Amino acid sequence: MENISGSEMPSRAASARAPEQLSFSGRGAEYFGIWIVNLLLTIVTLGIYSAWAKVRRLKYFYRHTELAGSSFDFHGSPTRILIGRVIALVMLLAYNYSVRLQSRMTLVVLLALALVMPWLLRNSFRFRLYNTSWRGTRFHFRGSVGGSYRVFLLNGFLTLITLYVMAPFTHQRLKAYQHDNSWFGRTQCSFHARAGQFYLIYLLLLAALVGFFFVMSAAGVGHVLVLFAQMQKQGGHVDPNLVFRTLFIVYGVLILMSLLIGPVFHALVTNLIWSNTRVGEHRIACNMSPLAMIWITVSNFVLVVLTLGLFIPWAAVRLAKFQLESVRIIPASDLQEFEAAEPEAIGAVGEEAATVFDFDISL
Amino acid sequence: MVCAHYFDGRSTRVREVNLSIAGADLVIAGEGIDLRVPFADVAVDERLGRAPRRLRLKDGTFCEVRDLDALDAMLSSTAHRDGRVDRMQRHLQFVIFACVACVALAAAAYKWGLPWAAALAAHRLPPAIDKTLSQQTLKLLDGAILLPSKVAADRQRTLSAEFRALRLPEGGIPDSDLLFRRSPRFGANAFTLPDGTIILLDDLITTLGDDRQCLAVLAHELGHVHGRDGLQMLLRSSAVGAFLTFYIGDISALLAAAPAAVLEAKYSQDLEQQADDYGAALLLHNGMSPALLAEALNKLAVSHSGSPSGYLSSHPSTDERMRHLRWLAAAAK
Repeated sequence: MENISGSEMPSRAASARAPEQLSFSGRGAEYFGIWIVNLLLTIVTLGIYSAWAKVRRLKYFYRHTELAGSSFDFHGSPTRILIGRVIALVMLLAYNYSVRLQSRMTLVVLLALALVMPWLLRNSFRFRLYNTSWRGTRFHFRGSVGGSYRVFLLNGFLTLITLYVMAPFTHQRLKAYQHDNSWFGRTQCSFHARAGQFYLIYLLLLAALVGFFFVMSAAGVGHVLVLFAQMQKQGGHVDPNLVFRTLFIVYGVLILMSLLIGPVFHALVTNLIWSNTRVGEHRIACNMSPLAMIWITVSNFVLVVLTLGLFIPWAAVRLAKFQLESVRIIPASDLQEFEAAEPEAIGAVGEEAATVFDFDISL
Repeated sequence: MVCAHYFDGRSTRVREVNLSIAGADLVIAGEGIDLRVPFADVAVDERLGRAPRRLRLKDGTFCEVRDLDALDAMLSSTAHRDGRVDRMQRHLQFVIFACVACVALAAAAYKWGLPWAAALAAHRLPPAIDKTLSQQTLKLLDGAILLPSKVAADRQRTLSAEFRALRLPEGGIPDSDLLFRRSPRFGANAFTLPDGTIILLDDLITTLGDDRQCLAVLAHELGHVHGRDGLQMLLRSSAVGAFLTFYIGDISALLAAAPAAVLEAKYSQDLEQQADDYGAALLLHNGMSPALLAEALNKLAVSHSGSPSGYLSSHPSTDERMRHLRWLAAAAK
């Protein structure tokens, strides 16, 4: 997947430099201490500490990520994250209860959520990027509110009414909105993947799902389901063991699917997105092996289950290391030449520090 | 002397510098840099594993240090002290203590905290929530799993009248709706919706045969109404689900859903016990013996032997419950 669309490679061969690989030096045992203390304090404070825990977690991962001998950093304030979490929780509760208690209010609540969501997500992108830095220069997100509504509401709506035929296109629009509006200091990023490339990967996913379904029905899942349906239709007592077995199999199939097809899809899409993103003239190559991704996902899953979650810190570190180290930056010029945005310019756009409404709603 | 990279915060240019402490000041010297700032104005990043640490100056510039041991040696001569959480994370005994404490706290919260909080919340939530929730559930069940009752109309009327005539231990009469339905799926069963509506299934009436034993089962169901147990169960399972999502969420959302389902199924034991106690008190209050409920349970257990999908599947250890009820009956004499 090294399709760095080579259409307009700069001809200044002299300025081509050796690629710089991202490296990640976090270690599971080390992260375990941070993770367990985070967990304990979160439980003791009934969840309030979770915002501080998140900052510590992100700092651990950012600071262990290195590019060209310098590490990244995270600057987010825990109180902002706490505000975001409260908002996310309220919205989640409103959504859950309105869906469960279908009434006239349901539509009003869903509509209100749909209207406020794009604005929240845009502010969340802004928060995340503004609080990320490398060599003391911060990233910025300058996507407009209108752009966010176009992507989330308009494209989201089109996806729904076309029964997800438009999903790959919407995915491409979302990534274009995110990456075209991202800045590193004064340098703007750009996104070059076309919708067609997204469709290709989604078709592959669809083919894999169909193939998987056939293999599973051949393996007898369908048989049990049919049996179950028949018993229900006849209205007789359903053998509870059969119900359990069926549930077990259905659940097993879902897990198997998410362990095998999920990682491949994730690897392909991530490769496509990052290999087609540029930071100014600098290119990025992302080369994540789908097979290695399956191996990491499956082994992490098994070990997390067997250790009742104690393996989580090692799993998170392994996954981060694998994903980050598959990314290389191909510099077009010296990486020392980036300049930070002028503080006045930031104020003028009415951005960042001044706004009350930046927070992180991602959990 | 500590090697570091100095960044001016305006560009990504790296400058090699050396750090040292002179008196109460931090000295930064290297490529075109010669700074001396009071150490009290320098913010030192907390330690996170072996990640580089930064010494931040007030003007937004900073030094990135990779040689953590040299930095520690330098800091030891200053007033800098590591943060409390930082020390906890690196202290092996504390990490082990945290593991044990997490497990103990989670177990305690699940066993006592959650039921307590759910009961507290359930009794404070407006009844309107139960009402809509129950009507929704009934609409879903009716026609699909629940069919119209085939019990004779006058038998239904008698049972309803007897039910209405019950006196609640805390005073007043039941204001629950009593509905009659038939369900091949659920067999001999009775259940309570969150708003207190009780649904009595035909098979239960025919299996028990005796009206007084039916009333004993209804007394048990009124215990669920009294405790607002339907809403409690909903709150408990939501809380368990939320915690598991938080705990495992980093890795897999699907993984989080599985144990939640298992935990929910086993959760109702304490609520059943409380409903039994309430039912026994109600029966005594109305001049009947709690042994009636024990007999009803016995009949149901016999009729269900071989198929655990009936009334008793969510009611574990029937023997123990019958013993407890008979003991209550004997004690009341």
